Amino acid sequence: MRTFWRRPETRFLILFLVLLTTGFAVIALQPINDRVVVPFTAAVARTSGAILGLLGEDITVTGCDLRSPRFAVTIYNGCNGLISSLVFAAAVVAYPTTWRAKALGVLVGLVAIQLLNLVRIVSLYFIGVFLPDHFNEAHIVIWQSVVVIAAVAIWIAWAHFGVRMAEDRR
Amino acid sequence: MKPTVGPPAVAVYLRRLPVTVIVAIILWYILRPALDVAVSGAAQFLIRSYEHPKVTRLVAESHLAKVQRTDFRSDSVVPTVALTQIHVNTIVLLALFLALNRPLSRPQLERLFMAWSLLFLSQALNLIFHVKYLYATGLGAWSLSEYTDVGRNVFGFLRYFTDLPGRFSFPFLIWFGFNWQQVTAMLGKDADDSTGIADTKR
Repeated sequence: MRTFWRRPETRFLILFLVLLTTGFAVIALQPINDRVVVPFTAAVARTSGAILGLLGEDITVTGCDLRSPRFAVTIYNGCNGLISSLVFAAAVVAYPTTWRAKALGVLVGLVAIQLLNLVRIVSLYFIGVFLPDHFNEAHIVIWQSVVVIAAVAIWIAWAHFGVRMAEDRR
Repeated sequence: MKPTVGPPAVAVYLRRLPVTVIVAIILWYILRPALDVAVSGAAQFLIRSYEHPKVTRLVAESHLAKVQRTDFRSDSVVPTVALTQIHVNTIVLLALFLALNRPLSRPQLERLFMAWSLLFLSQALNLIFHVKYLYATGLGAWSLSEYTDVGRNVFGFLRYFTDLPGRFSFPFLIWFGFNWQQVTAMLGKDADDSTGIADTKR
């Protein structure tokens, strides 16, 4: 059992799954959902609404809904970037390196994922306005794949460049 | 003569990714009808293997799995589960694999086959949890009599876990697991480096 645990790939996989399952179980709890997830999603909706407003759209934000005379979207859990962030953070924390490098990775990665998610929401709004027939494909097939691949790319960049930087500074 | 120093392997990999995502999306669109049928068929087989009497039928149609039970009344509404969301993460697995060095070499194709099989199993399980969650919560008095609160919560958790973090993370996890040596070498780390804990104590 000890030999099994000593294998770095096994330890990474187990740690990753434990962190991911625990993190997901925590955010799925009703009080956490009501006090953290829903307000966070509403903040994402407000920020997206503000960006769309800057781009000239007549947007009204109510809770997690973005509405204009041209199109409306609702941001659900799963579209707020929280799950991608959780997956990313679990991959960073499970990776064998220093805590300093992990902290750097989580911080930079989560900001990057949230920024990408805002681009995604704004672009999906415009796809809904101009190409409504392609909204579902863009939402589920294209953007979901792009966000996951981007998160993996950020993780790879962190595991190569970020870890080296953080370890060099020690 | 000075040796030519190329870009680090990780930079090459990151540059390939956008291209392989496009290739993977095209491949997925080509395979989509077959994946619809295969995932529904596997999920139906697994459900029926422990169901008594065997009443569940999952029929793939228009990218939906129609949940047909032979004990439903003939005028019942047929519930459906969207299949696109269940197997769309195939794109991520294909893109990650194709961006590695020599993706069409025999060892890489063997790894891809094993990895894809594992992802396929996770997709079939995801569909099973959708169906079980539907049975546990969506069929009125029958659901209340056949499933306990614990059962409803367990199937609810499993459905949402495989729907959200599972769908997002399984392709990455499977890709990394099957290519540990190659990926850790690319990242500039010793594949047998087990300093995760030691590093923090150094």
